[in-house]
Amino acid sequence: MKGLATRELSMAIALLAIWGFFAWAEPVFLSARNLSLLSVELAITAVLALGMLVVLLPGQIDLSAGSGVGLAGAVAAVLVFWHDVPAPLALLVATAGAVLVWSAMGALIAVERIPAFIMTLGGLLVFRGLHWLVISNQTVPVVEGGSQNVYSLLTTYFLPPLAGYLLAGLAVAMLAATTLRARARRKAYGFAVDDGEQAFLKLFVLAQLVFLVVIVTNGYRGVPVALVILAAVAVLVHQLVTNTPFGRYLYAIGGNEEAATVSGVPVRAAIIGAYALMGGIVALTGFMQTAYSGASTSTVGSLMELDAVAACVIGGTSLRGGRGTVLGVLFGALIMASLLNGMTLMAVSPEAKYIARGAVLALAVWLDLRLGQAR
Amino acid sequence: MTDAVLEARDIVKRFGAVTALGGVSFDLRAGEVHALCGENGAGKSTLIKLLAGVHPHGSYDGEIRIDGRPAAFRSTRDAERAGIAIIHQELALFPEMSVGENLFLGALPQRFGRIDWDQVYSRAAATLAECGMALDPATRVGDLGVGQQQLVEIARAVAREPRVLVLDEPTAALAGHEVGILLQLVRRMRERGVACAFISHKLDEVFAVADRITVLRDGVAQGTLAASATDAGEVIRRMVGRRIEDYYPRRQAAPGRTLLAVHGLELTPPHGSSRHLRGITLEVRAGEVLGLGGLMGAGRSELLMHLYGLWGERRAGSVEIDGEPYDALDPREAQRRGLALVTEDRKRLGLVLQQGVAFNISLSALPSLRRGVFVDRDAEVLRARAMVDDLRIKAQDLEQPVGTLSGGNQQKVVLGKALLTAPRVLLLDEPTRGIDVGARLEVYELINRLTATGQAIVLASSELGELLGMSDRIVMLCEGRIGGVFARDEADQQTLLAAAMGRLERAA
Repeated sequence: MKGLATRELSMAIALLAIWGFFAWAEPVFLSARNLSLLSVELAITAVLALGMLVVLLPGQIDLSAGSGVGLAGAVAAVLVFWHDVPAPLALLVATAGAVLVWSAMGALIAVERIPAFIMTLGGLLVFRGLHWLVISNQTVPVVEGGSQNVYSLLTTYFLPPLAGYLLAGLAVAMLAATTLRARARRKAYGFAVDDGEQAFLKLFVLAQLVFLVVIVTNGYRGVPVALVILAAVAVLVHQLVTNTPFGRYLYAIGGNEEAATVSGVPVRAAIIGAYALMGGIVALTGFMQTAYSGASTSTVGSLMELDAVAACVIGGTSLRGGRGTVLGVLFGALIMASLLNGMTLMAVSPEAKYIARGAVLALAVWLDLRLGQAR
Repeated sequence: MTDAVLEARDIVKRFGAVTALGGVSFDLRAGEVHALCGENGAGKSTLIKLLAGVHPHGSYDGEIRIDGRPAAFRSTRDAERAGIAIIHQELALFPEMSVGENLFLGALPQRFGRIDWDQVYSRAAATLAECGMALDPATRVGDLGVGQQQLVEIARAVAREPRVLVLDEPTAALAGHEVGILLQLVRRMRERGVACAFISHKLDEVFAVADRITVLRDGVAQGTLAASATDAGEVIRRMVGRRIEDYYPRRQAAPGRTLLAVHGLELTPPHGSSRHLRGITLEVRAGEVLGLGGLMGAGRSELLMHLYGLWGERRAGSVEIDGEPYDALDPREAQRRGLALVTEDRKRLGLVLQQGVAFNISLSALPSLRRGVFVDRDAEVLRARAMVDDLRIKAQDLEQPVGTLSGGNQQKVVLGKALLTAPRVLLLDEPTRGIDVGARLEVYELINRLTATGQAIVLASSELGELLGMSDRIVMLCEGRIGGVFARDEADQQTLLAAAMGRLERAA
């Protein structure tokens, strides 16, 4: 418990330090416009990281996620721009394809026992090749110039200000209701709970944050729909991993696969399920990232798998499986997205950006091992 | 006793509240084979670990002397330096390396800083020849059978030219002709003046090589006998001794209809061709405890694991649960059909250590704890709490990670997980291993309560006392076959042990 508190605290300090540094070095960092862009970037990074969490929990990994992002976005873009397929149908087709392909990878990993690291490393290369093949090494826009469709709106639609406030109010109300209910139940079960004052304080700070986000983004063009998508995915994944048998199985497999098997946990089905879900999330991230770039190019999605893994690990997910939470991953994604956004703003060279990303990834894993040992 | 190379005097070794050795003395002379006999848990392995430096000086009372001088081993390295070589039951070879490399690993002959491969292989060939093994020293160890690997392990100890050689169950993995090679090797070491300690369950091997035999029971030496002046019957009598029957509070229930029936079962290991278990026929009735005994490697765990869908291919025979045929495909099917298994190795196969008590207890029963797509937390907590109270699991709350519980409480969590699936037949594999006396009694009480409500229990145990005390009927396995079936009141420890050793006629 103490280790957890230290970790939460050090994450908060790291985030504040990052934000403080960028605000000092480049005051534009805190402008409504930039924070609004940052929230879209956060949404993209975080959605993929939440998928990665589902794969990491049972002790697996997906290195092909970044290539998959590029490929899924490319398939949808090509269908829309070159073949005049309606955007909703194109997204649906690309999503279905991704779910199928990732399920197949999951089956090869779970049933044929190909190590996930190798299987998805192979996937990384195969999908990258397919991505370039699909777009014939050209730039394929997600929509005709000057118009818009469901695809392009993923990152360019912003809620009207009033809708933003209404949504925020609804979110806070739901948050309060579920927190209080969960607290009452935990008390009834005889589990440890924070004292009332602390619980209220936490809720209060969280509610303020939600409204702050709405106020800031309304200062630019409104709450980005990408952020709403992130919220929906976060709630879904949280419910899935904490409150369903499937989620329990993921934690059990990551904690002790042999014991899970003996306990009658459907290990293979659970791992395949985790990858199937990852396929859907990879496709969704692919659409968002490609829409954010405006077009599918050969670099879309490149190395995003590593940002997702870093976000998970920074957020306290164990690479050995069995440990990790949605809230932690969101926090980790915020740190990664802030770093990337700030560096772009400061016009840091791509060389230095690669070095910084790599250093953060190694640092996060090292921290995970140190804190893991401490417990 | 002055000619003893190695002498252990009045050794007392405790693990927490458990006394593993209660004042044991043991000595080894140059050029003799001294056998150590005793049941599982009698303290043989503990004594060996003391001599090997695994339990360092200071963690026990008493004295170990080498050549009459006190020795204080702080590590296994100290013991090695003193010339003691130990061959453990578990293999410690590198399967990817050659036989020669394995023999000299850590002391590979070198020339100009490079490994002198000619020397490695010529010396290895010499050592192997000395051990009576016709083996190419360049063979990859992983390509050898388990028996040959065991012989390589022994050759490795011989290559170090030890003064004291300790063999802990060295023949457990060996085939008949390999046993012959091994025994011959032990005799040769004796002729060279090496002091050999020989630990084996197999009394015919003991009598084939030993000069003297020391029997251990419950951590106390039961006398040292000259092999020429005693026989197997006497050794078994001393191994078994007498026990307090009250320790096992079995209350018999009226048996009902047959819940589990096994007919002529023949099993092979996965991917294996040799038959591991054959001719297994047994049945368990409602309200009955069937004891399953046998020496290490007799196939107790394998049989239970197979019934639970975890082990082996069925080559012949059939299994019926409550009269319906059953294929034992996987643990989920086993659970659906009303079987539950408590495994022998709770940390590896039983628990998700970093997760809480409720998480672990409900893990097997989640399909029945659902509301829509979600886990029904209310029902889960309610039933987990009831189980915790029922089994008297001591934990702060239902979320305490099970890795932080005591062994006895961990075992109860595993039991709770099995019971929450409401099984009709409960398979228990060594349910009291490594837990204290209080928790043991609670497990026995639980067995009584379960059978009183009509459950059938298969209790596999390596402890004869437990089998005799808690079973209504006992099946002894011997090398993968049934060595004997006994009603509770017609069996005693001697007949059980004799059945387990496949020598029922001679001892009876």
